[in-house]
Amino acid sequence: MIFPKVTISEIIGLLEAVNDAGGVEDAARLAGDFDLELDEILPSIDGAELLGFVEVKNGNIELTADAKMFLEMGIRERKKIIRDKVKGVELIKELRNKLLESDEQRMKKGDAIKFINNSISTNDIESYFRIIINWTRHAGLIGYNSDAEEICLLAEK
Amino acid sequence: MLAEIRSVSKTYESDGNKILALDNINFQVDDNDFICIVGPSGCGKSTLLRIIVGLEKPTSGEVFFKGEVIAADNPKVAMVFQNFALFPWFTVKENIKLALEALGIKEKEQDEIASKYIKAVGLDGFERVYPRELSGGMKQRVGFARALAVEPVLLCMDEPFSSLDALTSQNLKDDLLMLWAEKNMPPDAVIMVTHNVEEAVYLANRIIILSPRPGKVMADLKIELTRPRNRKDPEFYRWVDKVYSLIV
Repeated sequence: MIFPKVTISEIIGLLEAVNDAGGVEDAARLAGDFDLELDEILPSIDGAELLGFVEVKNGNIELTADAKMFLEMGIRERKKIIRDKVKGVELIKELRNKLLESDEQRMKKGDAIKFINNSISTNDIESYFRIIINWTRHAGLIGYNSDAEEICLLAEK
Repeated sequence: MLAEIRSVSKTYESDGNKILALDNINFQVDDNDFICIVGPSGCGKSTLLRIIVGLEKPTSGEVFFKGEVIAADNPKVAMVFQNFALFPWFTVKENIKLALEALGIKEKEQDEIASKYIKAVGLDGFERVYPRELSGGMKQRVGFARALAVEPVLLCMDEPFSSLDALTSQNLKDDLLMLWAEKNMPPDAVIMVTHNVEEAVYLANRIIILSPRPGKVMADLKIELTRPRNRKDPEFYRWVDKVYSLIV
């Protein structure tokens, strides 16, 4: 599978920009507005699509009803929506299940990387690990202790 | 009136030559002002900001904060930096608590205040993370949380978005405006330095334009655009054009 190499902040920035354009915008024009090449903005579009915030048709990016509702919310409420959205991402679901089966719901970084590498074939797995942790920390689902080099399941609040 | 910049000039000496960087700057800052200072690079806008917060002394003139000459350790003024200025060996929460410790606040209270502002900027879940593990956007959120945690009356920001990628910067600006719109959140006024005219029109209710060196106030504009502002709005572009025409 392909996992978009993009942070949650970039995805939200993209939604805000599409919203400014009236809820639908051409991908190339959007890239131009931000002085980006099309391939530089694509990961953000993929990320937004994976989270169910946009639909992409014929090069047009359209906000979903979920995205419109999300953009009406404050920082706190947005965090909860992100949590639910990230929870539904297949790879993160699998990683959480793996952690549930593990001792103390923890896993060494090396093992987590091997697990992720089974789904994402890349020679840059380290940056995918960082992105996945960015998403799961944002969502309050999986934490990472860089001193112990361990990921852990976070308790449901 | 919250602050007053009165007849501020700054001269540098270089190889025996005197270089005038800022020339007789005057303006007032009121409650609810969100001022953006714009101008070409080298016009002395960052120097002016450092003088306003008391980090640098003007060669002549003075900055008054609530009627008194500003001091560098004024706890009611906080600063957000372009390069984040976080301690790499401290976690997110420790970085924020450090600013509170400097004010002599007790440990337990430091913890509560830090948690409050970590949540406010959407950093919960990142409390025990080190800066090296954070994206630029998240680092600047720590910068905001640390500045807000001291509950400043005046918040000064030096190009806070310019080292972020375009989309992250967009997201952070909107979050900043959301915090600014919350009446129970500090600060009472913001002064931000930027070289980006669109950013200034998007954020500010007042734009102060400095001339090329030596920096002088060329214009002090009230931006009469309703919020939320839309960068695609023709009216928005009229303001951007107006500011550009005054700079060029």
